[in-house]
Amino acid sequence: MKFHQTCDGVSRRDLLKIGSLSIGGLTMAGYDRLAAAGQVKSGFADRAIFIELPGGPSHLDTFDPKPNAPDTHRGAFKPISTNVPGIQICEHLPKIAGCMDKIALLRGVSHTLAAHRLGQEYVNTGSKPTPALEYPSYGSVLAKEQPADPDIPSAVAIPKAGHGSGFLGIRYSSLETNSQPNFGRPYGVRGISLPGDLAVDEVQRRQTLLRKLDRKFAELEKNDQLLEGLDQFGEQAYSMITSERARNAFDISNEPQSFAKQFGEDSFGQSCMLALRLVESGVRFVTVQLGGWDTHADNFSRLKDGQLPKLDAGLSGLLNGLEQRGLLQQTAVFVTGEFGRTPKINTRSSEGGRDHYPRCMFMLMAGGGVRGGQVIGESDDTASGPRHEAITPDDVAASFYHNLGVDPTLEFNSTTGRPITLVRDGSIVQQLFS
Amino acid sequence: MKSFWQTPQGRRVFGVLVLFGISSAAYAESVPAPTIDTRFAVGDTKEVPDFQKHVIPLMGKLGCNGRSCHGSFQGRGDFQLSLFGYDFAADHEALLARGTGRVDTSDIDESLILAKPSDADLHEGGKRFDQGSWQYNVLRRWIASGAAYKESSIQELDRLQIIPDEIQFKSDGQQVSLKVVAHWEDGSAEDVTPLCRFSSNDDVIAAVTENGLVQSGDSGDTHIVVSYDKAVVPIPVIRPIVTPATKQGSVARSTPTKPIDRLIDQKLQKLGIVASDRCTDEEFVRRVSLDITGVLPASDRVESFLQDNASDKRERYIDELLDSPAYGAWWATRMSDWTGNSAEQLNNVLPVRNVSNKLWFKWLQKRLDENMPYDEIVSGIVTASTREEGESYLDYCREMTEICNGDLDRYAERRSLPLFWARRNFQKPEERAIGFAYAFLGVRIECAQCHKHPFDQWSKQDFDDFAQLFTTVRASNANVVSPQSKELRDELNAKLTDGKELKGGELRKAIQKASQNGKVVPFGELFVTKRSLTERQKRQRELARKKGRKPPPARIPAGKILGENDEFELSQDPRPALMQWLRDESNPYFAKALVNRVWGNYFGIGIVDPTDDMNLANPPSNAALLDHLASEFMRHDFDLKWLHREIVTSDAYQRSAETNATNINDRANFSHHLPRRLPAEVVFDMVMLATGSTKQANELRTELDQMAIADGQGRTRNNSSFALEVFGQSIRETNCDCDRSDSPSLLQAIYLRNDAEMHERIANRDGWVSEICRQLELDAPQSGTDKMSSRERQDDKLRLSVLSRVKQYNRMPPARQEKMLQTAEKQYVRIAERLGDRYEVPSLESLIKDPTCWPSLVTKNVDELIGDDKSKPSLDDVIRQAYLRTLSRYPNADETEIATQYINESDSPTKGLEGLMWALVNTKEFIISH
Repeated sequence: MKFHQTCDGVSRRDLLKIGSLSIGGLTMAGYDRLAAAGQVKSGFADRAIFIELPGGPSHLDTFDPKPNAPDTHRGAFKPISTNVPGIQICEHLPKIAGCMDKIALLRGVSHTLAAHRLGQEYVNTGSKPTPALEYPSYGSVLAKEQPADPDIPSAVAIPKAGHGSGFLGIRYSSLETNSQPNFGRPYGVRGISLPGDLAVDEVQRRQTLLRKLDRKFAELEKNDQLLEGLDQFGEQAYSMITSERARNAFDISNEPQSFAKQFGEDSFGQSCMLALRLVESGVRFVTVQLGGWDTHADNFSRLKDGQLPKLDAGLSGLLNGLEQRGLLQQTAVFVTGEFGRTPKINTRSSEGGRDHYPRCMFMLMAGGGVRGGQVIGESDDTASGPRHEAITPDDVAASFYHNLGVDPTLEFNSTTGRPITLVRDGSIVQQLFS
Repeated sequence: MKSFWQTPQGRRVFGVLVLFGISSAAYAESVPAPTIDTRFAVGDTKEVPDFQKHVIPLMGKLGCNGRSCHGSFQGRGDFQLSLFGYDFAADHEALLARGTGRVDTSDIDESLILAKPSDADLHEGGKRFDQGSWQYNVLRRWIASGAAYKESSIQELDRLQIIPDEIQFKSDGQQVSLKVVAHWEDGSAEDVTPLCRFSSNDDVIAAVTENGLVQSGDSGDTHIVVSYDKAVVPIPVIRPIVTPATKQGSVARSTPTKPIDRLIDQKLQKLGIVASDRCTDEEFVRRVSLDITGVLPASDRVESFLQDNASDKRERYIDELLDSPAYGAWWATRMSDWTGNSAEQLNNVLPVRNVSNKLWFKWLQKRLDENMPYDEIVSGIVTASTREEGESYLDYCREMTEICNGDLDRYAERRSLPLFWARRNFQKPEERAIGFAYAFLGVRIECAQCHKHPFDQWSKQDFDDFAQLFTTVRASNANVVSPQSKELRDELNAKLTDGKELKGGELRKAIQKASQNGKVVPFGELFVTKRSLTERQKRQRELARKKGRKPPPARIPAGKILGENDEFELSQDPRPALMQWLRDESNPYFAKALVNRVWGNYFGIGIVDPTDDMNLANPPSNAALLDHLASEFMRHDFDLKWLHREIVTSDAYQRSAETNATNINDRANFSHHLPRRLPAEVVFDMVMLATGSTKQANELRTELDQMAIADGQGRTRNNSSFALEVFGQSIRETNCDCDRSDSPSLLQAIYLRNDAEMHERIANRDGWVSEICRQLELDAPQSGTDKMSSRERQDDKLRLSVLSRVKQYNRMPPARQEKMLQTAEKQYVRIAERLGDRYEVPSLESLIKDPTCWPSLVTKNVDELIGDDKSKPSLDDVIRQAYLRTLSRYPNADETEIATQYINESDSPTKGLEGLMWALVNTKEFIISH
């Protein structure tokens, strides 16, 4: 089926039933060969933090300011210089401006899906959504390819993940905390710590008993994702509740206040700090969400008073914190919304708003092998589209995987032997790593 | 063949066509005519392409009006087309816009719609066709002929005929070319294959090219979807499964007797699938109890069912379940999901807080209990009014004040459910159109709010016409009343606030307080503003007449029922007509939507799936089955219990989860039971029932009101149960059945294994482990003994509620007290009976005399609580009980041995029992339906 013939109109249905897909062998041969020949460097990072900005942040009012654009487009904010000469970003992101040298800023990233859910699926997977199968989120792929120790979750989402595990199956989905930490307060995911009167060996005995008794579906399990997933979650839950490590990782009140303060005292900032603690204790992939970017109305006051200060403190705190802990080299950071917003300001509300705009957006990369302090790509005069060749979400996804040592051309096989390429159309943005 | 045109009118027209059209000369002449790619292969043809039939479909096929191209709301390069077409006037205007050069009839070849798409450098969207190609020639010839479009020439597409209308593949590499014929309302027909868009619902089973060439893939069934003009037509594609057994024809098939099973069997035969065997009695008793009532069956009921040898015991048990109060409770919960009973969205709809969603639930529950026909229940919602017939505004407020202050059950006696209309997310006409279609039609029409629906026949105009119907119905927060009641409302408010001018939150607080003190407070009303000439319009006309001017035009606003052609003038309440349309037997959605949702509950997958997404591109997996159930449901006067019985007595429902080589991958054709995680409320209650003492569990089952399936647990955002949230109870906010989630998660596993709530339940002194320990004269479990149990907290709440009612009663004037005494007694008796088993309860008389005489709950003697049965059960008995109360079956010999050994090796038998109960509620068998 040729998708390029119709630009859109792809129905969102999970037509390829999850149950009928199981993952066969992976063909890594090609990538390995290239790696051995020195043509690709192996991964730089072994863990990742994915900051998702659902709603779609305005690129003009954040990382792609256009001070010379006409009044109808420019917006209320002024650009400021950063600690990297020549790179300017929005005046309401001063702390991020102070650590721009850690960030690779991608401008003029472009795609075509202007609906939240489809856009979100796209930037969470790196493959354009298709009706035939659902691609897995980055975290799920990492949970499968490079799982964490059993007593710690491979992937955690604070508070929720923007996309699930797709065809990999539910057992690779993120642990969603369902809540966010608050500054200075103890935090824990409910059920992670054992009650005082229950000893660890008692829990072990119970688990052994459960394994012996839970045999009724042993036969069906191999073919049923639900049963398999339940089994997997059960085993993992057991490992986690008997481990001190997981419990400690979640408890942000262990951090000194001076360290905690640099993340900002709102729950997004503290979630960023939690993300840092989690990757520090061995979690492979942490998703942190900061929503509220869908600014169809009152774009400027909402950004200035709400989203921008939060992002500014949280993200700068995270990058500086990772460096202070010596984790920046090992941790790939990726920040993105599902699309940009219309360069032309709408007039529906008194101060104006911006609508969905996938044709031009920004993305941020940091950590691992990414060279910070550079801008890659460029948008045109009004930030209405890429000035030259567009960078696609597929390209960025391929680069993100590459930074993590996962071959973006990894192939998965369905039971029918149909090969599925992890990132269908993307190629690595080499400049990120040069 | 299956007509895409689902409306009855469409069917009738189709019938006529079959009788006359196809055999007529028009068909014979026009169809063999070459297709457009041949007719326009060279540029000098005389034919003039038609804007609707050729130009717009061609642009659709080329992708011009797609979302990322000129169909985007911002357009592209300042050129905007209507997304997915069908707004001909706007598109024509955009194409011919002055000064843009898109269409230039004087310099044809310089027209941008020819020059740009044929040149990759010029066109950001890339090259779409070559100069001189048929596509180029079509557009060129249209421009050369004057680029005309006449609104009057727009025709209805009667039918889109696909040949063949069904494909059966047998092997790899097979190919079938689809041919698509459009039949127009004037009787003309044309082969439009090159102008259609083709897509596959599962290209692993069948892939399709842009030219309509279908290629075989894996075995299974799917649909190829063809789109042209307004039509979206799915064509079924099947490739049967071949196994050694089916090849030899050695598979024995019993002939099904029920219509449901015959229809399913027909499909399975086509697919070469052999269905699984009948499930065991143990599986059945558990599955059917959980599915019909949401309640885990009690151990003794499981045992008596298993020991029953009568051949009709399954049917009798089904009847028993359908007659039990839990049926009404559980389905009121499900129906609350579909109708959007959300506490958040009902905030401020009533002056008294936190009751509106409970009233909604009780209103539904009573009707389901009484098995009121489905259409009548819906009628009470759709045509709702706030006041009963003949009820004055003041009487209404008095009644509602009493209801909201504790007499919730009385709300169910009222005729209708106006709360549905007053929700915050159901205020704008377009929100109502979407929410109404979701709740009662199982259709998602939101796409058509802004553009032609890509997978359905709805155009933006259809949506707007439908939304228009909802503009005159007013219902929102408690302060909004009809013009006639305003004065009375203000008087009431003045009385409550001592004449002070209060606004917003202040006023709400004052009213809330007054109602707690037993004062009558004002309630909001639902009313319909009739659209006729307004007073102003009347005055204007009068003035114009006097001055001898032409009166200004005045048109009474009108809307259209979805899919209907006739306008409905809003000079009267549109809702009776809307209701009449819903229950009309020709309605294509109403019965199907309900039947399909009920089916989905029993099979874990709808006949149309997702269950709320009936659209042309998402056809039912078994259309005959859905048609049959829907029409029989209507023939049985929308009898819900008939529907439930018909489904659960079928072979299809009673199949085992064990699969064979032919049905192992089948999920959509009901050939075996699909294990699924049980719904949030059901899991929550199961845990309470399984871990609670026999007595507590029996009470829960009979009283129901503490159970999650009966709305017994908090539902507001700040007061909802963590467990219910983690297990995905519906948030009932976004007009989507997906508001409820049944996927498992790590957090769920952690909750069941280690949440403080779980440990507390197992060790609770009202729990089953404690009960057994008392019987065996063992030590009680350790934890949970020193603090108040959740049971005690709930009991204490009951004590407090009795006291507050008594105090309220004491404040009433004597005349009112006389009137209320009976109600008060009734309430007292109900609660006293519940508390009396366990605590000393003072008489109502003494409480009225002195409400302070009952400062806390005083427990009766412990011996009285355990009951008479002191004979000690054996360990085998205990293990058997544990199995029956969790997994609804007996343990086998191995399991008994494993459990015995575990208990014997534990530090104490008490710890052993706790561990066993913990393990059983953590098995997969416990949490899934099987």
